Amino acid sequence: MLWRIDPASDEPLYTQLVTQAHLAAARGELTPGDRLPSARELAESLDLNVHTVLKAYQQLRDEGLIELRRGRGAVVAARAATDLSPVEQALTALVRVAREAKLSTETLTVLVKEAMNR
Amino acid sequence: MMTRIVPTLDDRSWQPRARRVVLWSSLFALVVVAVALAVVWSWRDTLPDPLASHWGPGAAAPDGFTSLSGLVFPLVATVILGCAGFGAIGLFGGAAAMTRRMVAASTVWLGGFGASLLLFVTGTQRDLPDASQARLGGWTLAAVIVLPLVPAAVAALLTGPDRPAPATTPVAADAPRVPLAQDERAVWIRRADGGPGPAIGAVVVVGTTVLAAVLREWALLVVPVLLVVVFAVMFAYTVRVDATGLTVRSLLGWPGTHIPADEVERASVTEVDPIRQFGGWGWRVGRGGRIGVVLRSGPGLLVERTGGRSLVITVDDAATGAALLNTLADRSRR
Repeated sequence: MLWRIDPASDEPLYTQLVTQAHLAAARGELTPGDRLPSARELAESLDLNVHTVLKAYQQLRDEGLIELRRGRGAVVAARAATDLSPVEQALTALVRVAREAKLSTETLTVLVKEAMNR
Repeated sequence: MMTRIVPTLDDRSWQPRARRVVLWSSLFALVVVAVALAVVWSWRDTLPDPLASHWGPGAAAPDGFTSLSGLVFPLVATVILGCAGFGAIGLFGGAAAMTRRMVAASTVWLGGFGASLLLFVTGTQRDLPDASQARLGGWTLAAVIVLPLVPAAVAALLTGPDRPAPATTPVAADAPRVPLAQDERAVWIRRADGGPGPAIGAVVVVGTTVLAAVLREWALLVVPVLLVVVFAVMFAYTVRVDATGLTVRSLLGWPGTHIPADEVERASVTEVDPIRQFGGWGWRVGRGGRIGVVLRSGPGLLVERTGGRSLVITVDDAATGAALLNTLADRSRR
């Protein structure tokens, strides 16, 4: 899969990786049993510190997308193929009502973050 | 985007290098065989006439006999024909260092194989009153196959790598790109496998194992063991496109190759027909010296490189890989 990193973005580098892995899984580019590149390989290719990649992998593991096994590396977990279509439907609805309420992207993001942290 | 496979024949700057490799490896093979011939000639008075030349399945005693020249000529002819075959691959397809390395190793191995077969078969019959007492153990045959792998590996190491040849022209304007922000970095990593390779490999390995069992020559199991290694490294690769260019590497680390981003003239998606274009599966050399890492039929990533070189690898989602490689090749020109 394609991994991209934009150092100019406000989003931390490791969250950029986490987001892309989730999107790839949702699009079917990553399927259970697929192996992610080794943290060292990904870090070298993207000119990142290896700890940044490891942090992303650890978060992906905590979120259940991958399993980290000694010697086998990062493998996409069996339960990773979560169907995101209900989320996407709800998101479409959310965006519509947010536009009606004339909320800015930033405000909506803050609201979503607060709701997720509750 | 689909492009037709057309060998890039305009740039022939690799040919002197290919000629040198073919010349020294063939020369080595022929000299080794000539030395073996001289040794056998010096033994001629101690050898029985006729000589044992063939041993049947499981039998300790030979079942085929021939004169010394009847033994020598077919063997020498095989080595010469083999050298000519490998030489042709080198002369017509040796655009990439990897191909020239394989040609050198194969030629040198063949010479070593011919020479040691000659020496072992005649050597075991020296001072025998009658060739029917001649014995050829399975271990001898195994040694004849395995020992020449040593000079072959040395020959591969002695064959020079590709010299840096940065492109002087921009990447083709009509080739696909991935839109990247100014400072954005990207990498595309994909595993390439599948196809009938592993199944064919399994059949061949089982076949040679059964053959060794039927012949009760357990030392010949060295053949399926070697084949398992060959098939294991041949049929699964990691393909990576990043700022350094394209890297193709077998899951076991070898074989592999790297195409620097600044040597990429164009990356695209092409339709691969393993039999018609490459004569089979695995690490192949096609027309015009195109390297094919051919695991299945269907779409593959085609990279056209400076010096008239090109490489195809059958990998899923080649369109993304090609587009990213073009984009990063653009950056390398700045």
